[in-house]
Amino acid sequence: MITYALRRLAYSIPVILIASFLLFWAVRRAFDPLSKLRLNQDPTAIARETERLGLDKPIPEQYLLWFKDFVTGDWGTSTRTGRDVLDMIAGAAGPTIQLIFWGVLLGAVIAIAVGTYSAVKQYSAADYVFTGVSYIGIALPAFWFGLLLIQIFGVWPVQIWNLAEPPLYFVGLHSVGHSDFGDYLRHLALPVVTMTITLVASWSRYGRASMLDSLTSDYVRTARAKGVPKRQVVINHALRNSLAPFVTVVFLDAGILLGGLVVTEQIFSIPGMGKLLLDSLLAGDAQLLLPWMMLVAITIVVFNLLADLSYAYLDPRVKLS
Amino acid sequence: MTSFTRPRGRRHLRAAAAAGLAFALGLTACSTGDGGLDQNISDDEQIVIGAEQEPDCADWIATCAANIWGSYTMRIPTLPRAFESRKTDGSWELVPSDLLTGEPRVAIAEDGKQTITYRINPEARWSDGEPITGEDFVYTGLQIRDGDDIFDKSGYSQIESIDAPNERTAVVTLKTSTGSWKKLFSGDYSVLPSHILKSEDRAEMMKDGYDFSGGPWKIESWVKGVSVTLVPNDNYWGEKPKLKKVTFQFITDTAAAFLALKSGQVQALYPTPQLDAMSQIKAGVPNTNIDVDTDSGNLEALWINNAAFPFDSLAVRQAFAHSIDRPAIVERLYGQIGVEQVQQSFLTPLNGIYAREDFSRYTRDLEKVEELMTDDGWRRNDEGIWEKNGKPAEFRITTQSGNQRRELAEQILQKQAGEAGFSMKIANVAGADLFSSVAPKGDFEVGLWTIIDTVPEPDLGSSFRSDAIPGDDNGFSGINFTRASIPGADGLLNTVARTTDDKERITKSHAAEKLIAEAVPGIPIDTVPNIVMTSSKVKGPVEVNPAEGPFWNLEEWTLD
Repeated sequence: MITYALRRLAYSIPVILIASFLLFWAVRRAFDPLSKLRLNQDPTAIARETERLGLDKPIPEQYLLWFKDFVTGDWGTSTRTGRDVLDMIAGAAGPTIQLIFWGVLLGAVIAIAVGTYSAVKQYSAADYVFTGVSYIGIALPAFWFGLLLIQIFGVWPVQIWNLAEPPLYFVGLHSVGHSDFGDYLRHLALPVVTMTITLVASWSRYGRASMLDSLTSDYVRTARAKGVPKRQVVINHALRNSLAPFVTVVFLDAGILLGGLVVTEQIFSIPGMGKLLLDSLLAGDAQLLLPWMMLVAITIVVFNLLADLSYAYLDPRVKLS
Repeated sequence: MTSFTRPRGRRHLRAAAAAGLAFALGLTACSTGDGGLDQNISDDEQIVIGAEQEPDCADWIATCAANIWGSYTMRIPTLPRAFESRKTDGSWELVPSDLLTGEPRVAIAEDGKQTITYRINPEARWSDGEPITGEDFVYTGLQIRDGDDIFDKSGYSQIESIDAPNERTAVVTLKTSTGSWKKLFSGDYSVLPSHILKSEDRAEMMKDGYDFSGGPWKIESWVKGVSVTLVPNDNYWGEKPKLKKVTFQFITDTAAAFLALKSGQVQALYPTPQLDAMSQIKAGVPNTNIDVDTDSGNLEALWINNAAFPFDSLAVRQAFAHSIDRPAIVERLYGQIGVEQVQQSFLTPLNGIYAREDFSRYTRDLEKVEELMTDDGWRRNDEGIWEKNGKPAEFRITTQSGNQRRELAEQILQKQAGEAGFSMKIANVAGADLFSSVAPKGDFEVGLWTIIDTVPEPDLGSSFRSDAIPGDDNGFSGINFTRASIPGADGLLNTVARTTDDKERITKSHAAEKLIAEAVPGIPIDTVPNIVMTSSKVKGPVEVNPAEGPFWNLEEWTLD
């Protein structure tokens, strides 16, 4: 297992290096790090920043300087805020990781339940309903669904029952002066459901397909022939073995989510990675965009690695190959 | 039978799940309070206001502090200014604030140098009890004049010296006479505490918020990406706030902001009049007072590149102006909130006293277009487009991509221009590129963007003086993006900028406006209205100050 993990880790390093250069080149081409200074009346400002950022050097040399700083944790200063980029990204990662954790946890549990039930009851009315709902869930735009949830759970109860405050909040992750878990859950519910609906929709399809494979396998037939009860076969044998491909998909999707919650964070005013990306893009903050993209790229590579390792862990045959 | 049960693996999985849960809960615990009402204060003593933008930093004189919401949420409530924008006799003007004992004494020496003597209110003091002194003026003025990474040095670069002859006096000497001297220590800037900042790195101390104050409010907290909370400054010498806490919660999504107002999570909004916001206002927001005010400091205009074909011809610019039905555009953009007035000057209503209505002559008149274009040697080609020397009158219109209201305006303009024989293509760019690259380099023919006045002081010179054309001479920092060089206008605009005689400034400004309208370097379209929405629980007085925003008198606000 360790050899396998090290081999996969070794494969990941050149991927990250190539990605880092391509990202550096693309951001330098697309964004002007000095854009905010172009209208500055200080004639020395441009020259000063050009020298400080090494923008007068060839791109490969700039890349090496930047990469060295990146690796040593010197991610520079945001041209938009003047703050340390590492601090800004670390601050934004917290709320996003919370959303991902709860979203993936909830999504995986529901998807396994729905996928398993659909497979066991294949072609039943419930299976058709889950299939239809899944397609709707995959097609639902997050911004529309999020606003719909806000209207239903945040606005209508207040207007219809004349409540002093909504049962579920939709601005941020906490109220002023609150740090209790109940308040947190009232803020967390709607954004997590918004992001979970798409995850459940697609993951439940994987779960169903994977479970169907397991249910039609020889060992399940053997177990049933030996008289093992169906429930025990499904839970102890088929489900456990269907998890390997399912978990792989979950890891791959979870890696992408770090930078993929732009809409959810925007609607629910959550200061996470997606919102940071949007603000930085609008301001052309190249100093922040580069480390942000690198971090997301590294996360995706790491989660790919974790997906492979989890597969190997759950299915020992992979290690042998 | 064979079992695939892996007891050790299951322990690992449980351990991993527990670790993940603990991590998420840990992050939760680290999260700070960030919105909604504080339960430690009663509901009638605190208010939450939805802010559609977050300031980038709170070092107000640095380039990172250009965001106007920084002024609304923190600078104006917490830092003193020498002058404030107030409406007197129907027009806006800068009047001395309670930081001063009265109007400063202004004198012009024989050598043309101007001295301004500020007398500071003896009661004025910082939140730590230290008096506000002439040294604070000295520190602030020199930081702006001599500092690196300063947002705008206009006016301050003219400072020859600043002295504090005694604790309650500051004397500023300007190298030349400056008409807009009231902007010093006012408008976009405030007075900073020398005794706190002098021996420190100002940017480091201020950029993430600060705990000192010389205004009615103090910053209690600024949770990045989430909210700014203000509490009363107990040492403020003027009228003290009636509320115990004001929280500005950053809600950048317009639809979510309106829903937050409807659900009572916020009690006030100051939305930009984008199409979605106006649609929601038209649809109605229950239990909400909505004030729409066109008396603003923000106008939208077409900026014509006078150096680019086909607009290098005066006749073409005038014909283009007669091609456009501006009332129809305003009606389409703002009609649903009752705004129909066309802007007829490049000076906003905030500077109405200096403005004329010379652009009112440009109404849609297709016969006039025919006459002007034909006289200038143009003929229509087979497609009905004007053509001269084999070159058709084709051009681009450029604005910030993603701004729905301006994109709608472009579509209307495109149709109107097409009917008049002009081929207009929409070529929008990212906001970050518009003013850093496209406009300074003149890579456009017609631009659509706003001009914002933040003080009632006329500043047409920045946009239309010939020495403000971006180029090597000024390091491309000038903002006369139209490249207009209007005969006779430079002298008039220079006088407006330099004389301290208000009557002369008004006369010369009117004369310059007339020349500008004749030369058509651009075409003003509309005033961007201010909209402030407050819950019916809010008992103001709620009134938008076009220079200082809707929260300029927050200390007077109360709740039912």
